Amino acid sequence: MHAVGVLEAGFCRAVLITYGHSARSSDSLLKMLTSMNADEAVFGHFGAAAGYALAARRAMHEFGTGPETWKHIAISQRKWANLNPQAVTFCEPMTEEDYFNSPWVVEPFRRADNCLITDGGRAIIVTTVERARNLRHPVVSIMGMGMHNPSAEVTMATHLTGPTGAKVAGEQALRMAGITIEEIDACEIYDCFTYTVEITLQDYGFFRRGEGRDWFSEGTIAPGGRLPVNTSGGLLSEAYQMGLTPLSEAVMQLRRCCGMRQLGPETGMKKYPEIILCSDNGGILQTHACYVLRRM
Amino acid sequence: MEKPRPVIGPDNAFFWEGCKRRQLVFQKCKSCGHVRWPPAHVCPKCLEYDWEEIVSSGQGIIYSYVIYHFPYHPGFREELPYVVALVDLMEGPRVLTNIIECDSSALACDLPVEIVWDEEGEIPIPKFRLRKA
Ligand SMILES: [Zn+2]
Repeated sequence: MHAVGVLEAGFCRAVLITYGHSARSSDSLLKMLTSMNADEAVFGHFGAAAGYALAARRAMHEFGTGPETWKHIAISQRKWANLNPQAVTFCEPMTEEDYFNSPWVVEPFRRADNCLITDGGRAIIVTTVERARNLRHPVVSIMGMGMHNPSAEVTMATHLTGPTGAKVAGEQALRMAGITIEEIDACEIYDCFTYTVEITLQDYGFFRRGEGRDWFSEGTIAPGGRLPVNTSGGLLSEAYQMGLTPLSEAVMQLRRCCGMRQLGPETGMKKYPEIILCSDNGGILQTHACYVLRRM
Repeated sequence: MEKPRPVIGPDNAFFWEGCKRRQLVFQKCKSCGHVRWPPAHVCPKCLEYDWEEIVSSGQGIIYSYVIYHFPYHPGFREELPYVVALVDLMEGPRVLTNIIECDSSALACDLPVEIVWDEEGEIPIPKFRLRKA
């Protein structure tokens, strides 16, 4: 959103958005996450997993979600990763048994509900459509975007079981794009944890509160499904590159350069995707951004 | 390795001073009566500055809870598995704490809990246990 602002204001001609981290071969990510919780460390509360797990546990109580819903998300995304040679888990299929055998990290989350910790980097260039038209690749434009930050201390938060920032941000993005949710061909959702995918899609309005279990169970988001989600494997099964994992995958899918996992005839869809919705969120569901991208 | 201790600063000193007396103390806005947590200079409801201390009854219900099975900090390795919870106190504030003296399979959201002071360190730490019916 800031990139679009500085481009529109004429401050620059192109914006490079990058991320790089040796998160796996160093303890820097864990240290950063641990230091976030100074006041809560007394109680043994560290990192992001437990914050999201608190939200997820409350959601189990309020609208009946839980591992029977989340297993579909973990397994479906792993199926996508198994089609992506760049994915960390390319060679590791996941069955339902594998999911339930995955050890608890912070209950109700198993390891299989947690994103990966990855060494790597990713970059995206944002420029004007006019400039992009003169480049080698098909142009992917930003049709709409929205941002909503119900930011508050987690102990003051009322949004942990929805509506999260996804509701308002999603409405803003769709309004700007001038489309309805039915026109979305696929989603790339920020998936730090399985529950994040469920609550984000629920708040965007893909299914009603508590209906995720049935909605996901039909293979809806897996290869060949009605609404492919996190087609690289996502943060759960491809690589943790913050919000650039979903965003870069959306751009590459729309450019049709995704090989075996390419949405379209390659993976049992009638046509190639034209519109993909992406999300990003931060804190414990405290900040949210939504982007609708289109191939021009 | 030792567990982390309370980090006491000007904002939260009143809270930990209360703990030393085994009292759970919160800020109550003198203008609108809102009882706030975490500590703040300004009332998040009405933006007024003046506040007074109130002592909580230490009674509340579990909003949510999780069970740690992974030692994020070596000081807690021996405690595994342990329970971290958000507790909604009768007076209003929601606090992050531990539920102790319980079988974690007996826990559920909305169950009533009461305060129990953990006397292990220099400063008593406010934790909770299930309240007997
Ligand atoms: Zn007030």
